[in-house]
Amino acid sequence: MNPILEVKDLSVVYESNGAVAVQAVDHVSFTLEAGEFVGLVGESGSGKSTLGFAMTRLQKPPARTNGGQINFRGKDIRELDEESLRQQRQGGFAMVLQSGMNALNPVRTIRNHFIDIFKAHGHVEKGRWDSRQVELIEKVGLTRETLARFPGELSGGMRQRVSIALALSLEPQLMVFDEPTTALDVLVQQAIMETIKSLQKSEGFTAVLISHDLGVVLESTQRVLVMHQGRIVEDAPSRDVLENPQDDYTRMLLSHYADPRAEVVELPGFTHRTRPVADDAESAPGATRAARAAQREGRSADSAIVVDGVSKIYPPPRRGEQPVTAVDDVTFTLEPGQSLALVGASGSGKSTIAKLITGVEKPTSGAVTFGDLDVARLGRRQMRELHKNVQMIFQDPYSALNPLHTVEYTLTRPVVNFGGLRGKEARTRVLELLETVGLAPVEQFAAKLPHQLSGGQRQRVVIARALASNPQVLIADEPVSMLDVSLRAGVLALLEDLREQWGVSMLYITHDLLSARLVTDNIMVLNGGKVVERGKTAEVLQHPVDPYTIRLLDAVPNPARARDGVA
Amino acid sequence: MFVLRKIGLFLLTLWAAITLNFLLPRLMPGSPTDAAIAKLAQNGPVTDATRAAIEAQLGVPNGNILEQYFSYLHQVLTLNFGVSYTFYPQSVSEMIGQAFPYTVILVGLVTVIAFVVGTLIGVLTAWKRNTWLDALPTLTGSFASTFPYFWTALLLLFFMGYVLHLFPTSGAFGPTASPALTWDFFTNVLYHAALPSLTILITSLGGWIIGMRNAMINTLGDDYVTFAEANGLRGRTVAIRYAARNAILPNLTGFGLALGGVVGGSVLVEQVFGYPGIGFLLFNAVIGQDYPLMQALFLLITVSVLIANFLVDIMYGVLDPRTRR
Repeated sequence: MNPILEVKDLSVVYESNGAVAVQAVDHVSFTLEAGEFVGLVGESGSGKSTLGFAMTRLQKPPARTNGGQINFRGKDIRELDEESLRQQRQGGFAMVLQSGMNALNPVRTIRNHFIDIFKAHGHVEKGRWDSRQVELIEKVGLTRETLARFPGELSGGMRQRVSIALALSLEPQLMVFDEPTTALDVLVQQAIMETIKSLQKSEGFTAVLISHDLGVVLESTQRVLVMHQGRIVEDAPSRDVLENPQDDYTRMLLSHYADPRAEVVELPGFTHRTRPVADDAESAPGATRAARAAQREGRSADSAIVVDGVSKIYPPPRRGEQPVTAVDDVTFTLEPGQSLALVGASGSGKSTIAKLITGVEKPTSGAVTFGDLDVARLGRRQMRELHKNVQMIFQDPYSALNPLHTVEYTLTRPVVNFGGLRGKEARTRVLELLETVGLAPVEQFAAKLPHQLSGGQRQRVVIARALASNPQVLIADEPVSMLDVSLRAGVLALLEDLREQWGVSMLYITHDLLSARLVTDNIMVLNGGKVVERGKTAEVLQHPVDPYTIRLLDAVPNPARARDGVA
Repeated sequence: MFVLRKIGLFLLTLWAAITLNFLLPRLMPGSPTDAAIAKLAQNGPVTDATRAAIEAQLGVPNGNILEQYFSYLHQVLTLNFGVSYTFYPQSVSEMIGQAFPYTVILVGLVTVIAFVVGTLIGVLTAWKRNTWLDALPTLTGSFASTFPYFWTALLLLFFMGYVLHLFPTSGAFGPTASPALTWDFFTNVLYHAALPSLTILITSLGGWIIGMRNAMINTLGDDYVTFAEANGLRGRTVAIRYAARNAILPNLTGFGLALGGVVGGSVLVEQVFGYPGIGFLLFNAVIGQDYPLMQALFLLITVSVLIANFLVDIMYGVLDPRTRR
C-alpha cells in the first residue's frame, strides 16, 4: 500500500453573490494508490470535474473547498501557499483539460509552450531543452516538425496530444485527464485513449480519467469511481462494476450501453427494434409507415428526397493547396416515412450532405430533388416551401435556442411564419407541439427560458420547433451526442414515435452506431465523402463488409467488450 | 510576404484616396471662382476679363480632366499644394509643415501614451480583479471619461491656468522662445503642451482601461490560461504572455481608429488651447474659405488614417500568427 493521494471527507461549494450556495462535491473520500489508473464517471452536474479541479487545486471562485483534506504524498494541498503550490506542479500533479482544442495559447508556438514550462520550473537544463521537447512530442505520436507550429495549424486530436505532452513534461506523479477525448471524433478518440493507456504504463504515473462515458472508462481503467449528485456512489474494480454493480445509479448507467451488433438491441424505455431482421417482418411496418405518410393532409405522394450523383468540391482552403472534395458522387433516396442513417467520422461529408439537402450549399455536380423541387435552383418562394417541409434538428441544444426568448416565442415564430396561424390558434398549436414532444405541463414549459431547462428538455424544444411547420422530412444532425447517456434513450424514443405517428421521414446523421441501430431502417456509411457501405441497418452492423465500417464499430466504447478484454 | 501584401494594399487605397480627393471637388456644384465673383457682383457687374483674371490668380487648372489629373498627381507627389489664400503668400506645404509636428507630438504621442498606460492599468485591474487595485483605477477612469472633452479642457484652463498660474493658457511655446532645436525650446514646448495633453489623457484613459480589463477578464477564463496555471507557470508569465497577449488583440483595432483620428480629431482641443496644430489650421482654413489649404488638409487626414490602419495591420501580423497568411 502506497497511497499517492488521499481525499478525506472533501466538500466543494459554489458560492456566487446573491445565489444559494450549491454543494457540488459532498463529503467525498477515496484513496489513490501509486501507479493506479482510476476512472471517475458521472453525468453532467455530478461534480466530477469540480472534484478533478479541486484535486489539482485549480478550482476558481465561486468554487471553494469547504472542509475535508486532499493529501498528496501525505501533505494537504489545500494548505499550500501559491509559490509552493506552483512548484509542486512539477513532479507533482498535472491536469489535461477537456477541450484540448483551446488549452493552447493561440499566439505561441508549441515549442514556446514547452520552453515556458522549462523556464518556470528549471527542471530541464537549457542544453537539453531541444532534445527533451522532441522526445516528449514523439512520445505522444507527433513529429518534431509540430514544435514549430502554432496551435491553430493543428487538428483537434493533435492539439490534445500536445496538451498531454506538455503535462508529461512536468514529470508528474499524478495526472488527471478531464474528459480528454470528448470533443473528438470516435476514431481519434480511440487512438488518443490508446496513447494515454500506453503512456500510463511506460511512464508509471498514477492516472485519473474523468469521463461521462462509462464505456470509455471501463475499457481503460482498473478501478472506477461513480459520482452522482456530488457523492461517490460506487468505488470498485472495473470488472466488479461491470459484472456486479452495487448502486442503482451505476446499474442505470450500464443499462444504457448495448452492442449495436447484437441480434436484439434494447435500452431502458426503448424496446423497439427487437423484431427479427427477416425480410417480410421488416417490410411490413415500413409499408404501413409509407402509407401513413401518404395519408397526411396536404402532401403530394411524391415527396421523397432524391440525391442523385451529388458531389461537392470546396475551393482550396489556402493558396497552393488542393481543392477539398467533401462529398463524392453520392446517390440515395429517402422515401416518405423512411429513416436513413448517415454514418461516418468527422470530415466524412455527413454534414455537407445535410447542407446540400436544405439548400444551404449548392452541389458542384449532380442534383438534389425534393418532390418536384430541384433544391439547387429554387426561388425565394420555393425555398420557403422546401424549408416548410424539410426541417433540421441541431446537434447542440445549448446553442440552438436563443437564450433571450421563451420557449413559447421560439415555437410561435415557425407556427406564424409557416402555419399562417395567429393569436389564440397559434398558441394552441404551440401547446400541442409541447405535448407532442412530451414537455408537460405544457403551460409551464411554454413560459420558460432555455437556461431553465435541462439539456434533454432543450433538445425536445428544438425538436418541437422543427415540427412546428409540419414537415415531411427531419434532418437530425447528431441529435443526442451532446446529451447525457441517460437522457439519450428518451429523445431517441421520441424521434421514433414521431416517425411512427406522423409518418415523418428522417435523415439521421451520426457517428454513434448504437443510436443509428435503434432509430433507423437503412444505413449509409461515408468515408472521405464516398459511400463505402449501405443496406439495412441491422444487417450492415451485424455483418459489416467494408474495413472502415469495421473500424467504426470497433471504436464504439462498450463495457461488454471491456469485460472480454479484462477476462 | 504578409508585409508585402499589406504594403500593396496600402498603396492601392492611397491611390484611391488621392483620386477621390481629386474628383470630389470637381463633382461638387460651384467653384471658388464663382464664390469670388458673387462677392464682387454685389459692387457692380463683373466682366469676363475679371473672371479670367480671378481664375488666373486662383490658379484654376486648364486642359481636360485627364491632364488635370496627371498634373494633380504630380503636384501631390512633389508636395506642391499651391498657395494659401488666407495666409498669402505662404505655400500650403510650408504651413502644414509648421503645424504638423505640433499635432503629431501633442495628440499623437498622447494617444499612444494613453493606449499604453491604459492597457497596462487594464491588465493590472483584470489580474487583481475584485481588489482595491481593480476598483480604484476602474472607477476613476470611467468617471473621468464621462466628462465632455471641452469641459475638462475648460476646467483645467481655469484652475491650472488662470487661478493657479501653473501652466500657460495658450500657444505652443512662449513669446520669448524662438523655434530652434535647443533644449530650452524643447522644454518650453513640453510646458505648453502639458494642459492639452492632460485633457486628452484624462478623457481617453478610462476607455482603454475598461476595454483592456474586460477583454482580459474574458481571456483569463479561457482554457489555455487555466492550463498554463495547471502547468505551474509563474503568475507574471500567465498574466502577460497568455492572458494580456491575447486580450490586447481586439483593442488594437480601437487603437488604429484612435490613431487615425489624431490629425482630424484635434480641432477641438487645439481650438480651446489656441494650439497652432493641424486642427487649428483646418478651422481657420474653413472659416477663411481657403480651398488649397482645405484640400491639402483633407488629403492629409485621409492619408494619416490610412497610415494608422497600415501600422495596426502590421502590428496584428506581428502579434497574432493567425492573421499571417
